[in-house]
Amino acid sequence: MRGRSRAMAAAAGIIAVTLTAAACGGGGSSSSGNSGNTANEITVRGCTPQNPLVGGNTAEVCGGNMLDLITRKLVHYNVDTAAPELDLATAIDTKDNQHFDVKIQSGQKFSDGTPITAKSFVDAWNYTAYGPNGQQGSYFFEPIEGYAATQCTDDECKAKPKAETLSGLKVKSDTEFTITTSEKVSNLPVRLGYAAFSPQPEAFFSNPDSYKTKPISSGPYQASSINDTDYVFTKNPNYQGKWAGKTDKIDFRIYNDPSAAYTDVVANNLDVTDIIPPDQLVGDQWKSDLDGRNGTKPQGVIQAFGFSPIDSQLKNVNLRHAISMAVDRATIVKQIYNNTRTPADSFVSPVVQGYKAGACGQYCEYNPTEAKALYAKSPGYKGTLTFAYNQDGGHGPMATAVCNSIKNTLGIDCQPKSEPDFKTLRDQLNKRELKGIFRSGWQMDYPSIENFLAPIYAKGAASNDTAYDNPKFDAKLAQAAAAPTEEEANTLYQEAEQYLVQDMPAVPEWYDEAAYGWSNRVENVKTNAFGVIDYASITVKSS
Amino acid sequence: MTDTEQLTAETRDEAARAGGSAVNTPVAGGRSLWADAWRELRHNPLFWISAVLILLIVLMAVVPQLFTSTDPTYANLSTARTPPNRAHIFGIDNQGYDIYARTIHGARASVLVGLGTAVFTLIIGGFFGLVAGYAGGWLDAVLQRIGDIFFAFPLLLGGLVFLYTFPSNPGDPFIEMVAKIILVLTIIAWPQTARVMRASVLQVKPSDYIQAARALGASGPRIIFRHILPNALGPVIVIATINLGVFIGVEATLSFLGIGLQPPTISWGIDISNASGIGLVRAAPYMLLFPSIFLSITVLAFIMLGDAVRDALDPKLR
Repeated sequence: MRGRSRAMAAAAGIIAVTLTAAACGGGGSSSSGNSGNTANEITVRGCTPQNPLVGGNTAEVCGGNMLDLITRKLVHYNVDTAAPELDLATAIDTKDNQHFDVKIQSGQKFSDGTPITAKSFVDAWNYTAYGPNGQQGSYFFEPIEGYAATQCTDDECKAKPKAETLSGLKVKSDTEFTITTSEKVSNLPVRLGYAAFSPQPEAFFSNPDSYKTKPISSGPYQASSINDTDYVFTKNPNYQGKWAGKTDKIDFRIYNDPSAAYTDVVANNLDVTDIIPPDQLVGDQWKSDLDGRNGTKPQGVIQAFGFSPIDSQLKNVNLRHAISMAVDRATIVKQIYNNTRTPADSFVSPVVQGYKAGACGQYCEYNPTEAKALYAKSPGYKGTLTFAYNQDGGHGPMATAVCNSIKNTLGIDCQPKSEPDFKTLRDQLNKRELKGIFRSGWQMDYPSIENFLAPIYAKGAASNDTAYDNPKFDAKLAQAAAAPTEEEANTLYQEAEQYLVQDMPAVPEWYDEAAYGWSNRVENVKTNAFGVIDYASITVKSS
Repeated sequence: MTDTEQLTAETRDEAARAGGSAVNTPVAGGRSLWADAWRELRHNPLFWISAVLILLIVLMAVVPQLFTSTDPTYANLSTARTPPNRAHIFGIDNQGYDIYARTIHGARASVLVGLGTAVFTLIIGGFFGLVAGYAGGWLDAVLQRIGDIFFAFPLLLGGLVFLYTFPSNPGDPFIEMVAKIILVLTIIAWPQTARVMRASVLQVKPSDYIQAARALGASGPRIIFRHILPNALGPVIVIATINLGVFIGVEATLSFLGIGLQPPTISWGIDISNASGIGLVRAAPYMLLFPSIFLSITVLAFIMLGDAVRDALDPKLR
């Protein structure tokens, strides 16, 4: 049963626990993490991934957090600086930003014992890119030569694409392959650390469905059991990389309600939570609850809300600007989040290169007078404007506050609409079923301004929930990707961002600071620049 | 007064009527069950306390403007979590709503759901119980088994399943959302009333005055409405009054769980749900306190009233 709200989730949880307890009859339970447990294993908060744990098919945070453990990529991002470091790759060479030569380590193995070769990469990338496979990460391969020929020409994919593989990928030997891009891509090596670029063993291609229950791992951990309440990962004995896990077992317990996870961490029944519920932020209570076991860090996450592409009333640009200017970001950040967020002044997070302060200008500033004037120029909004959000992320208070701000300023009847969990919200967005406005958070995949623009607003991109389509914007992105230096590229990306400010497909709200807490039996808990906890480096206290 | 006396009065009345005599008034000194119950009620302080509370709550539901002129849907976020003070006697909640105004306006949804469900279960359950009890035989068996089907669902679980399948959305008309909850609660709660009604009818049916009426040639409907119903109604009224409080509680529970009433409807359940984050309970306890107190008092008032009515109607408890 999916929880409709946190309390219902709690009720359901209690029932589930009762049932499980009854069914087990006191048998050995897989749960750990209670204080006093000295086993070298930890339990952490998890949420239900939208799709099976396939690197190329995960574009959301719940699955992404777990994928980090079971995928090994060409490039690893430094936990502290987010700078890319070579992992599986021994060298990524290019002379012209268009032809890349990738050499990988030899003798590396997947968790099923088969070797990781250049072919594992090329096959996986071809599979992900190929249109009929319907992988969420397909758009990551868009720069690679021959991508267009692998895509469906119609929405339902009636006609098979012309090619099954990307012509830009060539296996040269077991340890070497080449990438050719259709245009110059200045930041390609930076991108290669994203999970969509991870390799897959041959067993995957014969039976992709097996990943629902037993994904094969290339990373420091491997999945040992997957069900609705637990995603359990144990050490991958075949992993030989530098970032091996410190604990033997990591159990992602699925919570529909971050408050429950938080309470469990305070009580030391859960080892790590990566979300502190907003009500605990009031008066910094969480810091006293978790004295000496809490942390915060700026991260590459921006929170925004998008305008539904199927809501014809929201097409008007004046209306969109008016709504954006009606949101009192500073007060919401102060009253709801106790200043653990920063009001957004751009579509891009300040942690990445290329962020330009104030890029969004007056349209991201609270200005009731101007908002009313713009609203008067627009046809207005009739009926109830719903703000859809996922209940399991603790976004309820924020959604209510944003709606009230819009209502008080513009007089639009704005109401928050809760969806039971993240998966439901994502599925509705993918199917284009939601009207009104909807929550749209973005956690960067790789540290680049490009990642805050292309995957969310480029035409046809997987996370383009607002169905934004502006040829000028797309052209500017292409131009920026081909720029010879990073500075030039960033300037062009900033110009592209200005189209977003003009058209306002979504409204930037604020930047998240990662806030997290841990139990008294673990240490070395920290997040990377993506705001994701580095689960593999967590250690259990020896005492 | 004893049952026998009442029976005699009734039988005499019936006899007189059937005989076509002009003497149609009850014998002097004989009071009906209801008049007697009322006399009993008047001397019960519990009844007066609950009656005054219920009157106040109903008044809040009908004309909240009498109590407050603050708009309960206006939120000023910058004043969020102000403790109770002279201008906002219950304080301000996490979103900047005036808690007093919301608590007053929240009564309407609760009272509507409670009353609506109680009335409908009384009508539907009462009707089926009466028919089953009076007709007996196969009709009784069929009606009872149908009732058992619904009786198998706990009230809350049934409500959850129904509202989860047919959710209300923000912006739906208020009446539609309330009607939906009344509908589901009635569907699940009517068999209880029907059972009590049936048992009560079975108890009354073998009485001498019924036999007499039948012997004198009274028609079925006449016996039912003139003799059985007035004498069997007592326990059902008691059940309905006590359940009214229960229904209000269930509505608040469903709203608390996020699937009952939806914003912008103001409901105690929704407000309690919003206030129940542990962090908020610590930072702004008044946000949780006031809607909870009002909900408890309302439920308590109806249950107390039910108790008082039961005491008055049941001769054995006197």
